[in-house]
Amino acid sequence: MQVLRETNLQGLALAKKLGKKGTLELLAKRGLVGRGGASFPTHKKWERALSVKTNERFLICNADEGEPGTFKDKFLIKNNSETLIEGILIAAFVLDAKRCFIYLRAEYDSLRLELEKIIKKVLKKSKMKVSIEIVRGAGAYVCGEETAIIQSIMGRRGQPMEKPPYPTIKGLWGKPTVLNNVTTLTCVPQALLYEDWNPNYRLFSISGEVEHPGVYEWELGVKMSTILGTVKPKGKMKAMSFGCFGGIMPVYKSNRVSPALICDKNCHHGAYSLIFVGEKKNIVDVNLSMAKFYTYESCGKCTPCREGTIRLVELLKKIKSGQATNKDLKLLKELANHIQETSLCGLGASCGNHILTGMKNFKKDYKGFIKKK
Amino acid sequence: MKIKLNGKHLEVNGNKTILDICKDNGIKIPTLCYHKNLFPEARCRLCLVELNGKLVTSCSTKPIEGCKIVTKTKKILKARKMNMELMSPGISMDKLGNDFEARKIYEEVGLDNERFKPRKNYKVELGDSLVRDNNKCVNCGRCVQVCSKVQEVHAIDFASRAHNEHVTPYCEKTLAGVACIRCGQCLINCPVGAITEVSHLGKVETALKNKKKQVIVQTAPSIRAALGELFDMKTGSLVTGKMVTALRQCGFDKIFDVDLGADMTIMEESAELVRRIKSNETLPLITTCCPAWILMMEQSFPELIPNMSTCKSPHEMLGALIKSYYAKKAGIDSKDIIVVSIMPCVAKKFESTRPELYTDVDYVLTTRELGRLIKKRNIDFANLPDSEFDPTLGISTGAGDIFGTAGGVMEAALRTTYEVVTKKKLKKVEFKNLHEFKGIKEGSIKLRNKTIRYACANGGANIRELLKHKDDYDFIEMMACPGGCIGGGGQPIYFDDETLKLRSKALYKQDSKKELRKSHENPIVKEIYKKCLGEPGSKKAKKFLHTKYKKRSCF
Amino acid sequence: MEEKILLNILHEAQDKHGYLSEEVLKKISKKHQIPISRLYGIITFHTMFRVKKQGKHILELCGSPSCLLNGAREIERFIEKELNVEIGETTKDKKFSVYKTSCIGCCDGAPAMLIDGKPYVNLTIKRIKEILKELKNASTKRN
Repeated sequence: MQVLRETNLQGLALAKKLGKKGTLELLAKRGLVGRGGASFPTHKKWERALSVKTNERFLICNADEGEPGTFKDKFLIKNNSETLIEGILIAAFVLDAKRCFIYLRAEYDSLRLELEKIIKKVLKKSKMKVSIEIVRGAGAYVCGEETAIIQSIMGRRGQPMEKPPYPTIKGLWGKPTVLNNVTTLTCVPQALLYEDWNPNYRLFSISGEVEHPGVYEWELGVKMSTILGTVKPKGKMKAMSFGCFGGIMPVYKSNRVSPALICDKNCHHGAYSLIFVGEKKNIVDVNLSMAKFYTYESCGKCTPCREGTIRLVELLKKIKSGQATNKDLKLLKELANHIQETSLCGLGASCGNHILTGMKNFKKDYKGFIKKK
Repeated sequence: MKIKLNGKHLEVNGNKTILDICKDNGIKIPTLCYHKNLFPEARCRLCLVELNGKLVTSCSTKPIEGCKIVTKTKKILKARKMNMELMSPGISMDKLGNDFEARKIYEEVGLDNERFKPRKNYKVELGDSLVRDNNKCVNCGRCVQVCSKVQEVHAIDFASRAHNEHVTPYCEKTLAGVACIRCGQCLINCPVGAITEVSHLGKVETALKNKKKQVIVQTAPSIRAALGELFDMKTGSLVTGKMVTALRQCGFDKIFDVDLGADMTIMEESAELVRRIKSNETLPLITTCCPAWILMMEQSFPELIPNMSTCKSPHEMLGALIKSYYAKKAGIDSKDIIVVSIMPCVAKKFESTRPELYTDVDYVLTTRELGRLIKKRNIDFANLPDSEFDPTLGISTGAGDIFGTAGGVMEAALRTTYEVVTKKKLKKVEFKNLHEFKGIKEGSIKLRNKTIRYACANGGANIRELLKHKDDYDFIEMMACPGGCIGGGGQPIYFDDETLKLRSKALYKQDSKKELRKSHENPIVKEIYKKCLGEPGSKKAKKFLHTKYKKRSCF
Repeated sequence: MEEKILLNILHEAQDKHGYLSEEVLKKISKKHQIPISRLYGIITFHTMFRVKKQGKHILELCGSPSCLLNGAREIERFIEKELNVEIGETTKDKKFSVYKTSCIGCCDGAPAMLIDGKPYVNLTIKRIKEILKELKNASTKRN
């Protein structure tokens, strides 16, 4: 796997040799974009933070991975954390950041002690005067949102804030702050160091009803048949869900997995996590479990998400119970759309997607529950 | 910056929010969680508009160069309505009083669908001053912001998350069980009436029916500048005479003026200041009219107890005088007297339960409760004729009037202290530097060979700020509510500083029109000292008019 | 001086005391000058902070789609029956507190759960029986 290549601080050495500007130029040339889901060019993010005159900049490594079905960051922390720390140091070097944070989700706390050791080891080897602190998350999915993570580190409830101002301009304690995902930062030294580094490779987290779930690396546009051939579905597959964000759709062997497939227009194509659903399952059940996730993880700040997500669950339960009518289906759709359009942050803006795509692609599953008058 | 607003090309200030720009251009947009004095958290999502086709909250969004903003489309109206519908299952329109902002917004947004059932099941919290009903709460966060940022009290915050997010004191305690100062600013800022005062109205009505008891009412200085608002009169209308008439029609036996209590406070406080300066006692001397400030001090700054004036607050002073001086004069057993105070304040409700004070005043009604009583009696308030307070304890000076606004106590005290100490007439009665609408005000005045440095703070955050420099001063006035009592938690709900400024102006006007403007000139005050108390600070005065404080938990 | 991150302060306190009691919160509030109402707001915002005394072992069952598709519900029902406890509660003998949690990132080992923070994957009823037996035995021995 490209992302498991070790760089032994050679990436950092190269960055120092190239200088800040040279490093940014090389990252731009290599085409590294964010791996958290938004695909924003990494060098641009760093340049934005650099454009602010300040005596202090912060770097946050977002290890608050939490979207159901996603576990690639955990895979990297387990298998290539030295390169991750090197990536953090390169970013710290370019940004002049003296204090860096790794926001590690509580569910990965078992990895913390090992990671602390690696941080110490790499820091010592690099001789850089930078602190890298692990912030221990405590079980709140929304803290993966960039403004929420900042609130959380500052000792507030991790509720997202309106943007602008963007964290790159005004982040932690009012200072420019760069947030990069674990995978992105791991890619930084690799992208700098290796000329054959391919910007289109992505980590795929595969789970669900398959024989070989796990993390795989494929190039964007990979054929579904390739994926299926590797992970071996347990029987016939009815659907696949792109995490919880991307929506749920039937499995077609000829499909190529790329942003264009996952989202019709401009939704988050997320972190390339595929959950396979077998033919015996009902999509309403899958949607209900995802809706429960959002209801549980909504931060509660804005009305549509706080009040709406619980109503989505109510409606799905009603549908499952066989008591719902077409009117309820209409309301479900209206509400899902409404929450997406009027919520404050990305969580709300995507929380109806699985329902909308589920209703569209698996009409039969829904209609089967509807009361006939 | 050039933008297109509802099809019109405009040149606007790009640093303003879309909401403000719309307001400037006469476009009304419904808001709920938005409050001028608070940070726009954009929680309620009612103020949605379209910015280049995308729904954004106008309260928190600034325009971008060349953007197209639309404020009224089917999509916008539908989205607003849906958010209202999602928020509203907890509130029922018929239960919602007319005083609350939400009612107007409901009517504006139009809530015709009720597709969701109420889902909240919180226990209603009954306190000693405030009642909190989280079932009505819409999580707008204004109470939390005002408590933590404006007042810096931090009695409440949001807890839990998602649909369980709710406002609460720590560990689900009640406000009465934590270090809450009972200022009631949360109530003033609540748009849906989820926080209300503990009502004494029922008890007062029962008392009024009791023929054996003489029910005496006394009204605080700031009531007269705000009560009219409850009857759709212009903000800042002075309704002293109408108020007295209404109270008489409600059946109160005697109507006295807390302004007189204020004059008494000044006599005692001024004497205390002079004594402390002369005998090198603890300075600065800090005023104690505001019961919320006293609570704040007892909880957070108990080391200041030696600095605190021992004077009771004006209505407690007058209450004590009613039950002693007046009772004797009128030949009534003090047990047959019920004293009701009309206060701009919910902390006064707590104050009247303090064991060292509870005999002085029996019940405290807020301005809003008085409004309710008057409405219940079908009195056409706005068209009432004027009448006068009962003179026995109803004559007061302009110094008493300005107690109701921040800086007023200080000004009143300075008028008297200067003249008593220097035995000279003040050239200018008014201290204009104290009339400013500011959180912290200061100045100095020369009394013979000693310069008195004084300062006033209103609002909890300003109090904390001023305390950092307390040793720079000899005399400090503290008021917990922004603007002083005119902005008290018992006053008609207000939305902006303009209201406070107008109320304040009304009090200064009342003062300026009075012949007697200094407490020591008040003939009743003179009589009370002559016939009953001797002189300010005397043993007898101490017994009736002074009190003590104790340290309380800071949690 | 760099201020300490509040979440880490709270975690350390919880590691030490087992849960964040009112007394612990008061101490933190005083020491770090953070209003106690805010502390309470933060700990209740996160699912992994506890305000009540916990059982000796904390079981957190993953309830997200990948686990559900692979039989998490059966595991959940079995544990509830076996320990005679409902999700969100602590057993009478104070040995186990059982919670449901969002995705724990073990989708490739679904169904999965965390026991005292450590992931246990590819759960079956048989394996759960063994695990619970082991934990029970271990805690009786220590007692």
